Amino acid sequence: MAPSPVVESLRRQIASCEAQLNDLRQQLAEAEVSHREQDQLRRSAHPSPDPLVHDMSFGIHDDFRSEVFAALSQVEEERPPMRRWPLDPRDYKRYGRQLIMPEIGLQGTFLNASVLVVGIGGLGCPAAAYLVGAGVGTVGLVDGDVVEESNLHRQILHSTGRVGMSKVESAMVALTSLNPNVKFVPHPSRLASDTAIATFQPYDLVLDCTDTPATRYLVSDTCVLLGKPLVSASALQSDGQLMVLNNPPSPQGDNAGGPCYRCVFPKPPPPESVVSCGDGGILGPVVGVMGVLQALEAIKLLTKVAPEPSRMTPAPADPPSLLIFSAYANPMFRSIRLRTRKPKCAACSVQASITAEALTSGSLDYVQFCGSVSPVDALGPNERISVENYAKLRLEVNPFTGMEPNRDSHILVDTREKVQYDLCSLEGSVNIPYSTISGTRTTSSDGEPNVDEQEWVSKLRTYSDKPIFVVCRLGNDSQLTVKKMKQLGLDNGGQRWIGDLKGGLRAWRANVDKEFPDY
Amino acid sequence: MSAAKAPPGHFSILYFAAASSFTGKSSEHLPAPVSARSLFDELEQRYPGMRDKVLGSCAVTVNLEYVDVEDGEDADRAIEAGDEVAIIPPVSSG
Repeated sequence: MAPSPVVESLRRQIASCEAQLNDLRQQLAEAEVSHREQDQLRRSAHPSPDPLVHDMSFGIHDDFRSEVFAALSQVEEERPPMRRWPLDPRDYKRYGRQLIMPEIGLQGTFLNASVLVVGIGGLGCPAAAYLVGAGVGTVGLVDGDVVEESNLHRQILHSTGRVGMSKVESAMVALTSLNPNVKFVPHPSRLASDTAIATFQPYDLVLDCTDTPATRYLVSDTCVLLGKPLVSASALQSDGQLMVLNNPPSPQGDNAGGPCYRCVFPKPPPPESVVSCGDGGILGPVVGVMGVLQALEAIKLLTKVAPEPSRMTPAPADPPSLLIFSAYANPMFRSIRLRTRKPKCAACSVQASITAEALTSGSLDYVQFCGSVSPVDALGPNERISVENYAKLRLEVNPFTGMEPNRDSHILVDTREKVQYDLCSLEGSVNIPYSTISGTRTTSSDGEPNVDEQEWVSKLRTYSDKPIFVVCRLGNDSQLTVKKMKQLGLDNGGQRWIGDLKGGLRAWRANVDKEFPDY
Repeated sequence: MSAAKAPPGHFSILYFAAASSFTGKSSEHLPAPVSARSLFDELEQRYPGMRDKVLGSCAVTVNLEYVDVEDGEDADRAIEAGDEVAIIPPVSSG
């Protein structure tokens, strides 16, 4: 028997609390060790059984003694304990391996650097881990989501025990145990246009690790307005993109500045074509590679000085480029040379229309700019059937005809892509992927049916008397499929019923078969 | 994705991300020359609906260099045999 949701939820909460406890214990242990070490250091600097103390107390004239003490104590009081080395002793140990890199050197503790990571998901987790490991002094974390189980295969800072915790909180637990010397600034909410400027202001540079077009434009615009370089990356399925934008971060209208996100992608993708990791899938190492590269670019920006001997003069920024990663291509990486700022860019050119006032007042509507998908509502009520009613039709005796349920009485078409269909499907269903259906032309230009009709259409034509039920994952593609089938004349001018299962397999799982896999 | 050389009189075109899903291909060879301006028409003809659904928001590169196919100077440029064109839609997930 499956455990009840209450039991499951309690178990999960206990696991989460235990994980937090463990993390706290670990942090406490580390804090105790470092406290003990510092204590020892202090004591070794002032050894108490000092022979001088003995001599001073017992062998020297009082006046001379007080004079010497006065001189000694003056030194003690007026100067803070002298630092013998440019860095804290523990930093030599922790950052030694990066400090001896010729490109890094002494600046390589990044103690005074501050970086804002927007989005603590597949990109933000590895990016933040490497930046915190490298010792960036202040790291800000922005995310409004909570950890879900389906995040864990790629969002490496989160853990099974912290499912349900906010991503920012969860990341801070992991990052603090990685490097307790870093100052973390939590921003546990989604980035909004009216607060973006205030959020970004204190940081040296920004990492865009977000997951929607609207936020990407908002992050880029804010960086342009504040003159902050932006390391932007994205990943989906087996592809990734990486750009260092607004570098150098010259003011709006200054052509010496690097291009912004709008210069490269002035038009957002049509909303219905935007695929999330939940719908399109993502391979953990693909997004991991991109996040790690963001950390690398950030470190390069933070240590941007010319090589010897002209050290300390800022080196010119690298020419702007777009790095494309494609896991199954050969070569896997392609670097594309980008242009400088676009002469008519809405954000960074002379003709820029985006201002700080417009941003903070909320008059710039990023969601509207990128468009949004309203749920598909393409069918009439008589073209749809609820999953419950379909279940009756599949499983129960017909109360009117007394007929035994028979799966051969109809055709159930599942329009998910084959790879999803192979994961799990309803018994007796036929798989016709939506990509095949949407790519099928309905009629030739003269209105005559296509001569070379696709196989799936011909097959459905041969069983012309059986009603067709269409199901997909969420109940959108199924509606469009029903429309298409009717355009193709598969309903024999209305004689055959064609309709879809409302809410798709998600509704099937919620209302009929709880065991149908949730992926 | 093949890095195979285009046959004589053709250029290679690479499709990334959404462009690859839409065409069902990662690359192919198309007859050259084509002006940058008419590249999208050419593709729309081969893959109906591609302009609105994919190409409108894409970056285009020729031989690893960004090309603005809607801008005067760039748009007049010809894509020659042997060139490598890439269609790069913005990827926004992360």
